[in-house]
Amino acid sequence: MLNHDSSKPIYIQIAEWLETEILHERFKPHEKMFSQYQLADQFNINPATAAKGLTILADAGILYKKRGLGMFVTEEAAEQIRHRRINETLSALISDVVAEAEHLNVKEQDLIHMIQLEQSRRKGESS
Amino acid sequence: MTVIECSHLEKRYSGGAGVKDADFTIQENTITGIVGRNGSGKTTLMKTIAGYLKVTGGEISVFGENPFNSLKVSANSMYLDEYTMFSNALTTKDILHHHSRFYPNWDAQLAQRLADYFSIPMRVGTDYLSKGQKNTFYGILGLAARCPLTIFDEPTTGMDASVRKDFYRALLKDYLAHPRTILISSHHLDEIDELIEDLLLIDGGRTVLHLPIEGVKEYAMAVSGPAGEVKNWSAQQDVIAHLEDQGSISTVIVKNHFTAAEKAAAGGLRFTPVSASDLCVYLTRRNIGGIDDVFSNSQHG
Repeated sequence: MLNHDSSKPIYIQIAEWLETEILHERFKPHEKMFSQYQLADQFNINPATAAKGLTILADAGILYKKRGLGMFVTEEAAEQIRHRRINETLSALISDVVAEAEHLNVKEQDLIHMIQLEQSRRKGESS
Repeated sequence: MTVIECSHLEKRYSGGAGVKDADFTIQENTITGIVGRNGSGKTTLMKTIAGYLKVTGGEISVFGENPFNSLKVSANSMYLDEYTMFSNALTTKDILHHHSRFYPNWDAQLAQRLADYFSIPMRVGTDYLSKGQKNTFYGILGLAARCPLTIFDEPTTGMDASVRKDFYRALLKDYLAHPRTILISSHHLDEIDELIEDLLLIDGGRTVLHLPIEGVKEYAMAVSGPAGEVKNWSAQQDVIAHLEDQGSISTVIVKNHFTAAEKAAAGGLRFTPVSASDLCVYLTRRNIGGIDDVFSNSQHG
């Protein structure tokens, strides 16, 4: 799950992995999150690095701390993650796609058509 | 709580200095990786911390005391390297037994299980073990003793790749269950960079860098592109190293504290992260060219 050769720091990869787990509802609001020690054991990393990943999510309001009990998922965590990923991750990907289409002289309707094709391919896969 | 505190620490030998000016503190229950080139002073530093050597200058305090001749440090610390010696009259089994008498936190069950897992023969003296087995056995001693301060000097020398991996995994698991202060030196930072919390880089007996490992990974960037553009852009930057040009492309390593505007001004230059182990190489390079120069001089000179 972690890419050890990636230029992305491990603690950010941990935070992103946990976000995806929350998005997929493997953690529901007010459920207890993995501790830094569980994450360290699972990913074979120093617990301080795992703690840094958890802190990012706490700072973003996705987790909250209960003194002595650990970290828990906030009520609005999934919605917040979705919102931010649309505004940051997805829009950055789209700007790359549009830039590349421009380089290659791909027309707007052809680009949209390519997106639609990919969407129906994925629908076919999942059904 | 601070476990180790060094200030302008110096250890001079008759032949020269081992440690010249080491300045750092190490907190309780952290794993610190100590890296540096051959002869940079790693072993001298670690032996000084363990109380094996008497300092010749500066200050050192371990558990609040000067470690040399300190019973407190001796009882609470353990230093292991490949030269650790035991009498051959003792079998590996005897050595485990005697450790249980010396170290109050000794976990006999863990020691035995690790020895079984790594197939360490129990009825022979350490001279009969291979280099890799011997170091694995010492690693087991270091883990099972659970000393508040455990110092591993190049613990994986001679171990094969899978044993190295298992040893570091065992170290992490035991540390998670029983946190303690661990120093570990290695020539292969890539193997320990996810295990350690902090990195201490020494060169020429001096501390060059002491940072959380995540900070080390973000410390510098490699910037490459056409030679002229790279030169212009990096003129205002903190340049750590110039790499050898590849044709017309040159690369510089700069400290990662330029602003977003400065990065934007770089236009078409390429920015890539610098791994912790590459950074250590760049920070401790000698200014005498590379290995290729040794050969080019002998051929043309």
